[in-house]
Amino acid sequence: MHPFTYTRVDDVEAASAAVTTDAVSRAVQGPDDTVFIAGGTTQLDLMRDGVWSPGTLVDVSRLPLADVELDEDTLVVGAAVTMADLARHEAVADLDVLRDSLLLAASPQLRSMATVGGNVLQRTRCRYFRDPEVTQCNKRRPGSGCAAIEGTARTHAVLGVDAGCIAVHASDLAVALVTLDARVRLHGPDGGRTIPVADLHVRADVDPARDNVLAAGELVTHLEIPVPDARTGYLKVRDRASYEFALTSAAVVARVEDGILAHVAVGLGGVGSVPWRATRAEEVLRGQRASLALFEQAAAAELADAFTVPGTDFKPELARRTLVRQLRDVTEVTA
Amino acid sequence: MTTTTNAPAGTATPVLGAGVTRVDGPLKVTGAVPYADDLAPRDALVGVLVGSTIAAGQISLVDASDALAAPGVVAVISHHDAPSVVRPNEASADERAPRPPFQDATVRFHGDHVAMVVAQTREEAVHAATLLHVSYDVSEPVVDLNDPRATREDDDPAGADSTRGDLERGLAEADVVVAADYVTGDNTNNPIGLFAACAEWDGESLHMWATTQWPSNTADCLAEAWGVPREDVRVECPYLGGGFGSGLRPWPYIHAAAIAAKVVGRPVRVVLSRPQMFTDVGHRPETVQHVRLGARRDGTLTAVEHTATIPVAVDDDNPENVVSGTRQGYAVEHLRADVDQVRLHISPPGSMRAPGEAQGNFALETALDELAVELDIDPVRLRLHNDATTNPDQDDLPWSSKALDQCLRRGAELIGWDDRDPAPRSMRDGDQLIGYGVAAVSFFYFQQPCTVRVVVRRDGTAAVHCAAMDIGTGTYTVVTQVAAERLGLGLGDVEVVLGDSSLPPSPPAGGSGLATAISNAVALAVTAVLDDLDLSGAPGRDALSRAVGARDEVAAEATAEPPDPAEMGMSPSGAFGAKFARVRVDADLGLVRVERLVSVIDCGQVLNERTARSQVIGGAVGGIGHALLEHTVTDLHAGPQTGRITNAHMADYLIAVNADVPDLEVEFVGGPDRLNPVGVKGVGEVGLCGVAAAIGNAVFHATGRRVRRLPITPDLLL
Repeated sequence: MHPFTYTRVDDVEAASAAVTTDAVSRAVQGPDDTVFIAGGTTQLDLMRDGVWSPGTLVDVSRLPLADVELDEDTLVVGAAVTMADLARHEAVADLDVLRDSLLLAASPQLRSMATVGGNVLQRTRCRYFRDPEVTQCNKRRPGSGCAAIEGTARTHAVLGVDAGCIAVHASDLAVALVTLDARVRLHGPDGGRTIPVADLHVRADVDPARDNVLAAGELVTHLEIPVPDARTGYLKVRDRASYEFALTSAAVVARVEDGILAHVAVGLGGVGSVPWRATRAEEVLRGQRASLALFEQAAAAELADAFTVPGTDFKPELARRTLVRQLRDVTEVTA
Repeated sequence: MTTTTNAPAGTATPVLGAGVTRVDGPLKVTGAVPYADDLAPRDALVGVLVGSTIAAGQISLVDASDALAAPGVVAVISHHDAPSVVRPNEASADERAPRPPFQDATVRFHGDHVAMVVAQTREEAVHAATLLHVSYDVSEPVVDLNDPRATREDDDPAGADSTRGDLERGLAEADVVVAADYVTGDNTNNPIGLFAACAEWDGESLHMWATTQWPSNTADCLAEAWGVPREDVRVECPYLGGGFGSGLRPWPYIHAAAIAAKVVGRPVRVVLSRPQMFTDVGHRPETVQHVRLGARRDGTLTAVEHTATIPVAVDDDNPENVVSGTRQGYAVEHLRADVDQVRLHISPPGSMRAPGEAQGNFALETALDELAVELDIDPVRLRLHNDATTNPDQDDLPWSSKALDQCLRRGAELIGWDDRDPAPRSMRDGDQLIGYGVAAVSFFYFQQPCTVRVVVRRDGTAAVHCAAMDIGTGTYTVVTQVAAERLGLGLGDVEVVLGDSSLPPSPPAGGSGLATAISNAVALAVTAVLDDLDLSGAPGRDALSRAVGARDEVAAEATAEPPDPAEMGMSPSGAFGAKFARVRVDADLGLVRVERLVSVIDCGQVLNERTARSQVIGGAVGGIGHALLEHTVTDLHAGPQTGRITNAHMADYLIAVNADVPDLEVEFVGGPDRLNPVGVKGVGEVGLCGVAAAIGNAVFHATGRRVRRLPITPDLLL
């Protein structure tokens, strides 16, 4: 770990003012960068691994951003709320997709440290990105290539990727959020803005060296999560029963009226370079009569153009099955 | 040196077999246990090892100028400036100990030690290590077991090869022959306690506090390495945070601490990082195995062939016997067993809980399941039918004890074997396919001499001294029990001192051998001291005190030697076991979850039911990991191969967590072994063996899909 300076700020204005580079949006941070730290569960790992070496850490964990409020049909969640606190909040007790995306993630210890703001900004688990010894990595060294495509890639992405980078965005929460049409409130040196979570991240096939669209000094202050009038659910598939990232996952929000999918939203995890909103599947599903055959068709459409390498060639099939299963379970369709 | 005196004193009662709590339990749960690193001098400098970034080649330059200029740095040590030390041999085995570091410019695997930074604090040393510039002349490494360029050692370095009868004849006599290849992945021991070593020199005397499962051997090897008298080397390790075999050898990091302390003239501590735990302290090597079984229609085995290819480091010895269980497991006249080692530029493999047997058992017991299917015979009945009542691998001598048949029958009863529908893919609960599987284990016998000193004090209390290690398995406790019972003392009246090479020498805490060796040595030493005191039976504290009289104490040493099987007219038995698994497999998603796991074990006299049961439970957890999760992955991506491990982190290397482990059912059957007076057989490794095959066979029963590869992951079942 490289030496760094640590400071703490007490208000949002000071936080934004302290960060003058766009390092938070970049895949790597260097000694000239000042960046935020909250729970630290991603930041410190990357610093210990020598991938990130920011010169200054600005601690935002004690900013007054730790409240959860229900504003009409929208949950407003402070960015410094921990995963554990949100998961056990009464406001999410019936919002299965959100609650389960939190409870099925990480471990109790990590969920008690990690904040929801940091969670959506977490970085890929790609072991080629996370080992500075690896010279081929278009995230760390643009133009150098991607070691993962011919390497150990079982946990890598097949959507929103190409041969330049197959890093997965591993957040479960963010998959639930994009499926719920959640928005993220940002505060920057020039004031605030609110954008959909679906527009927060940058796809690897667009620019692997950039992870999100945050401008210099922009801080995530809140998540706005509309509570849908629908049944929801989150299914996570992984080797280990707990404390592991998804091989595949599916977030489903659906309301069936007279057998017709009146409202449907679908997200996929473990397969995308960004939290994946399955819009192609939704196009197949929307307004149609719910059936297992339709679900198969929708899942196939979503994965039709998946980019696979030898390590990930099983993932489109597993993702299809995961999505069909979760559509079935949320809609309770039996045939 | 540490003592355990916290158990209650009191009237002597028979304690063998009883589930008394661990005498060191309170120390463990209150965090008061002194691990090796806790005993290191507090003014010790900190050394951080720097690993190579290539798998093969020569170090051409070590530029330490930036590192030396960094804050807190005291020294940078590489092959340029390290003192020469001799590569020792393992004390009690015909094999070379691991090579001490910094002795030449050659890089033999990714992560091989190229230098060490010594600084005032760990943070400073870690940072300075990133400023070290090392250049290499890179050679093309061979890191893939299937690489035809690899050197193949086929002259039986593992002592595993065996032929009996005539395999071809046995195959000709068979009505049915099954043959298949099996692959097991590389695993890493990953004890939670990071290994540590601290060295302090006083002139030519070396004092070390080091994580080890074998203080006697570590001290022997250090004495040989430095050419100093054995009595001038002392290695202390009263406790460690898990070992699973990774602490059996005197690994390079231990030498590194001694080298650094010599160079800087001050004590130096080395604590390995988690990634270093993947390359510095051994690992369970991957295997490619072939099994061919011939049988008559009634299930009688006529021929068994089991061959294995396993990797070994380019400059190391690791006699890992993958076929030991096959040689002695079943009564078959015609057998060929053969293990070839392939030299690779990988970090030296070493023992990991049930070395060889864990991998070999998976292949044999899966093949037997395939044979049972082919013959349409119940898999339990097939094993019982071929049960070897004498040891076919040792002149058909009768076993010193064997209750494998009881293990199988009782296990079948416990799991409800006969209530299942034996047809593959016949049992279902919603999306979940349900399956049952069985595997048997015939664990090998391993014994080495062990010496113990028993001291009876003027007040009638006693102490037991031995260099042996308690690796968390309960050695302190069972030694206390055996001594207390034979002296007629309460548990609290016996002090047990272990984990110090200056005490009477012991075998390793490994090979499932220590409990037998040390308990019998204690029994002999108690007899000796009672002889000296002119006492017999279990005299109790008052009689002991009177006999010691005015003396401070009376002590006696005794050594338990492994008996000669031929002379005894019987074949020494290791533990036997039967494992039964019930699994649920998601029919669409391929997720395997173990719902029940029954272990029935014959380990001779159970010294302590509580700690023995814990051993089997711990082994079963390791077995679940072996079956479904654990896999150390070497990067084989095209281009210049580095041999780098791609998942050398606890988040990426998956060990079983609580959610993967059901309530584990354990029962013991059989009785005291006839070979040794206490009647013990080791129970340290039998708990892991067979779990992978039982789970794999259950997956077949659930799904109809035969997976001949570990770990069994969802992608293999889609």
